[in-house]
Amino acid sequence: MRDSDVLENNPHISRSALEAIHGQVFGWALSRTDYDRSTAEDLVQQAYMELLSGKARFDNRSSLKTFVFSVVQNLARGRYRRIASRLRLLKGAASVEIEEAVQPVEPESNSPVWTAVQALPQRQRDIVELVFCRDMTIEAASSVMGVSTGTGRVHYDRAKKALKAKLGSPGERFDD
Amino acid sequence: MTDSENTLRRAVREAHARAESIPAPDFDRVMAAATARAGAARKRQYLFAGTAAVAAAVAIAFGLRAPMDDNRGYIDEYELLETTGWTAPSDSLLPSREFDIYQTVPVLIESTETYGGALL
Repeated sequence: MRDSDVLENNPHISRSALEAIHGQVFGWALSRTDYDRSTAEDLVQQAYMELLSGKARFDNRSSLKTFVFSVVQNLARGRYRRIASRLRLLKGAASVEIEEAVQPVEPESNSPVWTAVQALPQRQRDIVELVFCRDMTIEAASSVMGVSTGTGRVHYDRAKKALKAKLGSPGERFDD
Repeated sequence: MTDSENTLRRAVREAHARAESIPAPDFDRVMAAATARAGAARKRQYLFAGTAAVAAAVAIAFGLRAPMDDNRGYIDEYELLETTGWTAPSDSLLPSREFDIYQTVPVLIESTETYGGALL
């Protein structure tokens, strides 16, 4: 790691290492923001800001990818919590019909496999995405999700069973 | 990992890749924006800290300069005692009307029968 490459307030993170996982981080941010590009970009920016300022400090206890994914996950969770509380306040104050405004925007894919994944409960969907699509171990994925490895395993197992039940019996091809 | 799990993983991966076709923004651009935001946040923090420090200094200065109130009043000791009172919590157990069960000493019946030279 070159000294000039290291982030000022995060000595264990280099710009080049961050750049190497940038695409994956953005992908994860996309899935956290219902595939809204500008919101995802804002979320990634905010995550990098946390790294640059040293508020989120990486100490090599996990892989960089796991760490940055966790930062994105926590920021997204906080953001949704804020939005949800604002919506609750709005609802309470003006009893405005705002359900339509918060409907998630699903990615454009007619794949029955993806539809089945999207139909899974949130935690199961997350672990499937992290393990299947982002090449994480169950341990790392659980850490990103902020649950114990045991809980992660349970979600993973249930997700697999649910997908197999929806898409066909074992051994059958799950093509579109 | 079983074959069916591999097949499932591959299918999900392919479907996910198709769904997530949005290209990532340029890393340098995102980093530059994040750096600018971090700088602005730091400036805001410094500004807030500076304002708080100035406010504290002003408050202390005004506090020190404020004249002491010399018009102190004293209260008389007996006056003070009259304003306070205390009753024991067990006072409520005492009879509300004062009376004695025996107002006079009762006269006991005297025995006249004797036994062995003494009154029974």
